[in-house]
Parts: sequence; structure tokens; C-alpha cells
Amino acid sequence: MQAWFEKVARMFKTAFITGDRWKLYLEGLGVTLQIAVFAAILGMLIGTVLAFMKLSVRRNGKRTILAVIANIYIDIIRGTPSVLQLMIMWFIIFSSAKNGVVVAVLSFGINSGAYVAEIVRAGILAVDKGQMEAGRSLGLSKAQTMIYVIIPQAVKNVLPPIGNEFIVLLKETAIVGYVSLTDLTRAANQIASRTYDAFMPLIGAAVIYFVVIKILTVLLGILEGRLRKSDNR
Amino acid sequence: MIIVEKLHKTFEDNHVLRGVSYHVHQGEKIVIVGPSGSGKSTFLRCLNLLEIPSSGDIWFEGTRITDPKTDIDKIREHMGMVFQNFNLFNNLTIMENITLAPVKLKIMGKEEAGENALKLLERVGLKEKADAYPSQLSGGQKQRVAIVRSLAMNPKVMLFDEPTSALDPEMVGEVLEVMKGLAESGMTMVVVTHEMGFAREVGTKVLFMDEGIIMEENTPQEFFGNPQSPRLQEFLSKVL
Repeated sequence: MQAWFEKVARMFKTAFITGDRWKLYLEGLGVTLQIAVFAAILGMLIGTVLAFMKLSVRRNGKRTILAVIANIYIDIIRGTPSVLQLMIMWFIIFSSAKNGVVVAVLSFGINSGAYVAEIVRAGILAVDKGQMEAGRSLGLSKAQTMIYVIIPQAVKNVLPPIGNEFIVLLKETAIVGYVSLTDLTRAANQIASRTYDAFMPLIGAAVIYFVVIKILTVLLGILEGRLRKSDNR
Repeated sequence: MIIVEKLHKTFEDNHVLRGVSYHVHQGEKIVIVGPSGSGKSTFLRCLNLLEIPSSGDIWFEGTRITDPKTDIDKIREHMGMVFQNFNLFNNLTIMENITLAPVKLKIMGKEEAGENALKLLERVGLKEKADAYPSQLSGGQKQRVAIVRSLAMNPKVMLFDEPTSALDPEMVGEVLEVMKGLAESGMTMVVVTHEMGFAREVGTKVLFMDEGIIMEENTPQEFFGNPQSPRLQEFLSKVL
């Protein structure tokens, strides 16, 4: 028993302490979070714009050219693997770029935007259409009713799926190793191959991902609770 | 005040309004009754262009509102509407529901709109609910707030689309009371309803709509006492 504990302690030391290896995990986590946070922001911007493009209708009720463009964008992005998108961005489109993180942010942001677009669109459509009619009947414009009535309610609708999308995005950044960025997953993998022990680094990285996402989940829960204020009965 | 000429409305292949012409004068209280699917709600919703007519024309105080060049938002400021499902803004308090349009459309300052809202709420006995959210109100209370929200814009005419149909029976009375009070104050009203008592008591004219046209129009006494068309006689025998 004691021997076993000693062995585990030794493995832990090799994986995290020796040569200040814990710094490598932290640096990796830093890269992961940087890419995830900025890609999420970019994705939300792109997604919101796409959602409104998709929702736009002409006076005769037909689809606009903007809606068609948004549809094509969403189809292409959702129809191809994100690893491939990332590699195309890095090796073809930005093949002369120096800053891999920026390219990764762009790639994941563009990817996430397609999913966010559908979430935002669904969130807006889920608001009862009587709300728009009431706004319009009072003389408010479509834009005014959107801003003061529809969007605040849509935000509540989209928060849970947006949180979900962010969590997926955060974990998906683990593929940036393909374009030689050292994120948390790649850092753990490198340590594993250097120390000839896969167990501690990989489990360690998994625990770090889990803790970060757990914190995120709790924060989202608190935010959601606040926004539900007007639903109290 | 409102002139409607040869109004038609088609949904896909469903011909809902088949040529409705009518003239609403200032101060009148027009009550529209009829079986479901007769087009009465569609007719009402055409009056402020929530439904775009397929053909025909509508004038409001001399402006042809069916003209695509007319700024319909400006017209709607003068036409209040009350919906069957209340449609209070769920994300806003009662006070914010009432003051949103007057403030954002720069008709009143925030303070003036707030005072006006409290005055109106007091009139319908809901002053203490100013800071509540719609979800905290009963159906009858919601509808009274919805009426107040429309009145806050100082409309020249009020449109009611089955205002009591979604209410529990014990709440119908409180909403009808408010509407009666409004009628007595001289408001021009167009009301689609199934409340025959209200039609008889408050209406200056009662219209019977069926199959997309106004089949009969008369004063309440004549309408209920001496119905002409067989369809109206049949309808009244079922609902009275």
C-alpha cells in the first residue's frame, strides 16, 4: 500500500512539479482560454448578424438576398469538420501568418457563428408574435419593438443554448495542436511523451478542463436566475 | 373617421374577407359579432394594418392608410388596440409597459408619462400593481393594464379584438366595466366580441359578419329585437 502511494506521488511529482512543469499546463490553459473567449465573442457577433440576415423578409414575404447568403454560410460551416476549417485557415488562407492564436480565434469564431446564428434565430422566433403586434399597434417601429421588447426576451431564451455552445467551443479548441499551437491538451501530451507517463498529464488536463467548465456552468446559472426575474409568479 | 371600401383579404387560398365596406363615425361604438371564422377579427386587424388587405382601401381621418407611402406607425399612434391574449410586454413592469411607447415616441417625457400612467391605473383600480410584472397579474388585471397601455397614447379610436374571450368567467365583468366607462367618456370604439349583453348595452351599432361580409347592420334594439337575415336569426338563437 505504502509503495503504491509512493509511486503515485512520484508520478505526480514528475508530471507537475519537476522542472516547474505545472507552468506548462497553465500556459496551455492560457492559450485555450484566449482562443475560446475571443472566438466566443466573435462567434456571437457573427451569429447575431447572421440570425437577423436569416430573419429578414421582403415586403411580399419572400426571402431576401441577405437571408440566402446567411443560409449558404451556415450550410458550408456546419457541413465541414472544424479541424479541416482550422487547417485550411492556417495552411492555406493565412499560410504566411505568424500569430497562430489569432488564426485560431478567427477559425473558431467563424465556425461558432454558424451555430450561434441558429440559436439566436430560434430564440427570437420563440418570443410570442403577439409581443411584436402589441408593439406595432402602439406606433413603435419594428426596430424599436425588437430592441425594447423582443430581444430582451430572446436573450433569456438563448442563454442556456449559448452557454452550451461556449462549453462545446472551449473543448473543441483542443484540436489546435493540429496547427502546432500549444494549448492545454497539447501541453499535457508533450509532457506525457517527455516523461513516459501518459496517465498523470492527461488526467490532470481533463480535471483542469472540468473545473473551468464547472465554474462557467455555475456562473451561467447565476446569470440565468437574474434574467428570470420577470417570470416570478 | 374610418372609411373602409371594398376590403378583401386572402390567406393562401382562403378568402376571408370578401368585400367589406363600412364607415365608422366619431364617437360611435361599433360592436361586431358573428360565428368564428367569419372574418371579424381579420377585419378589425386590417383597420390598423396588422393584416395587410389583399385589395380595397382604408382611410383614417382623410389619410389613405392602405397607401404604401403612408407612415403607418404615425397612424397607429392614434389607434389603440386591445388583444384577446393581452400581449403585455413580459420583460417589462406594468409601469414600463404603459410608458414605453409614449416615451420612446417622444410624445411625453418620462416623468409626465409616469404620472399619466399612475392616473390611468388608478382609474382601473390597479395603481398598486405599477411595479409588478405581467406574470404576477390575473387575466382580468392584465387586460385592464392592456387597455390602459393603449389609452396612454391618447388614441382617437380603440380597437378591441375579443378582449374577454381568454378570461375566466369571473374576470369578464371587470374588463367590461372598464370598457363601459371608456364608452361613456366618448371614445370611438370598434369591438369584436361574443358578449351579447355588452353589444346590446354599449353598442351604437351592431354588425353581424358571416362568410367574409357584413351581413347585417343595425341599432342594438333592432339587431336583437328584429333580426332580418335567416343566418342572423339562427346565430342569435344559438348564442342568446
